[in-house]
Amino acid sequence: MSTATVTESPSEVLVEIRDLVIGIQRTRADRLILVDSADFDIRRGEILGLVGESGSGKTMVCRSLIGTLKRRSATIFGGTIMFDGMDLAKIDERRWRSVRGNRIGYVPQSALTGPNPVMTIGGQLVEAVRCNRNRTERDARKRAMELLDLVHIRRPEVVYDQYPFQLSGGMRQRVMIAAALAQDPDIILADEPTTGLDVTVQAEIMKLLREIRTEFNMSVVLVSHDLALIDDVCDRLVVMHGGTCVEVGSVKEVAQNPKHPYTIALNRARIELATPGTQLITIRGNPPGVGEWPSGCRFSERCEFVQDDCRVGASPPLLEVESNHWSACIHAGELGAASE
Amino acid sequence: MSDALIEARQVCVTFGSGSRAVRAVRDVSLHINAGEAIGIVGESGSGKSTLARVLAGLQRPDQGEVLFGDESIYQRGRAYRGDKRRLVQMVFQDPYGSLNPRITALSTVAEAVKFHGEHSRSESHRLSLELLGQMGISERDAAKKPRQLSGGQRQRVSVARALSAHPEILIADEPTSAIDQSAQAQLLNLFQGLLGDGLSIALVSHDLGVIRYLTNRVYVMKDGAFVESGLTQEVFENPQHAYTKQLIASIPGRHLQGAGA
Repeated sequence: MSTATVTESPSEVLVEIRDLVIGIQRTRADRLILVDSADFDIRRGEILGLVGESGSGKTMVCRSLIGTLKRRSATIFGGTIMFDGMDLAKIDERRWRSVRGNRIGYVPQSALTGPNPVMTIGGQLVEAVRCNRNRTERDARKRAMELLDLVHIRRPEVVYDQYPFQLSGGMRQRVMIAAALAQDPDIILADEPTTGLDVTVQAEIMKLLREIRTEFNMSVVLVSHDLALIDDVCDRLVVMHGGTCVEVGSVKEVAQNPKHPYTIALNRARIELATPGTQLITIRGNPPGVGEWPSGCRFSERCEFVQDDCRVGASPPLLEVESNHWSACIHAGELGAASE
Repeated sequence: MSDALIEARQVCVTFGSGSRAVRAVRDVSLHINAGEAIGIVGESGSGKSTLARVLAGLQRPDQGEVLFGDESIYQRGRAYRGDKRRLVQMVFQDPYGSLNPRITALSTVAEAVKFHGEHSRSESHRLSLELLGQMGISERDAAKKPRQLSGGQRQRVSVARALSAHPEILIADEPTSAIDQSAQAQLLNLFQGLLGDGLSIALVSHDLGVIRYLTNRVYVMKDGAFVESGLTQEVFENPQHAYTKQLIASIPGRHLQGAGA
């Protein structure tokens, strides 16, 4: 085990998220907690997957990384997000301006509504290129062309003067990626970037994200509920359930040797592994709603390995069960045998 | 092909006219037998949703005909006249947009039950609750409005509404694309059960995993026409057309299939 850590020598940690708590202050005394003790790192040059069902808090975590929680009237109540000596959980809007877009780029969920419909593609890219740096118009145009080329848009000089409605969904998403790349960020956040796009287009977008990572040694955070996709593209993954991280580890390790019952259940429910005609294995019940989290482990009501001590106390924290593999299951050690 | 429940013959649909005409469906023929599930796959814009609407009687084709039993459904006036309207039901893609946001799940289903079967108010409520129960929607959730339900629950309400007519064919246009993985599994199990009860299903999807799992025959659509069709298993194991090969190569997690199964 110890040799493995030495040889693997995890690359430089870029962002360190610790005990992050996000919620909504409804009245002076009433707080609705949406994300509770999120705990993971983003390393340089990795593609990190963030998986979970709707309501698991993955989008909230993502938004806390670009400082746009307020638009959803949510606030960070606690914890730290350390990035380059700054605590992103505490910086003000003025300092965010030098981070958002500049250091951390964002690719929104909906390619179809993401771009501004009344601005040409070129206009939007130039805006993205010029927002933080003093560039001349000509220079910015050159850079915008470069960006279009970078995301493999054919005939960029034509697309430059086109409007979003003239492009297909896949092309629009490429443009959004180009805009996110405009300032050479360290990290790109992609929140379900291929929802509503075809599988063939999805495969191309994923290929593009991988290329960008390799070419610029950029980190990519890919938010998705599609475990198969995460498995294909990512190096490491964070599994979220009920507003908290339940498992963190390398994709290979988590796929072969999951250490949390939720991940085990997710793996089993995967349709591409199912035999046609047989019953699919489903996860009992529904994901716990925000504010309706049970005490103890939040997966306990749906868990097939649940024991009495799972249902008491606070939500269990992530513990390193093997090197570079964390699980929030208090019985993680016993799972190997049980899941066989 | 005498046991075909519904059959489309050389269907063409064109939107617009002149130089801007879009030929959405070009000369497509397909049939669905009783008790089977067929899949229609293709990329966005390939015409698969239009074809689904043609089958459901919501889009009159310019050419060709759709036979249900031995009768063409698009004769004069409305499609699927009389009792036949009831026998072909559709589940729409968007669980957010296809339910009335102002009425509860129960009322949504009860409205359909009442429409199709002349029941009294209390009777239709009872039947609706029963139906929703079979879909895994509790009485408590049935009293909620769409916005209070999750995407998966909403989609199951849509299915309950469609089933309230006791159809012979269910046409589902991308029923799983807007919902989570676990909700998707629940919905597919539901469909599997319905197939067991003798319902026929036409599943339109770009999710090949879903198609592979649920259907026994598949039609691959590109630019309004079928490029390949056949038994699902054969098409997936041995795709013939270049486009089908590309589609199958794009399925995420495919490399795991050998190891996991």
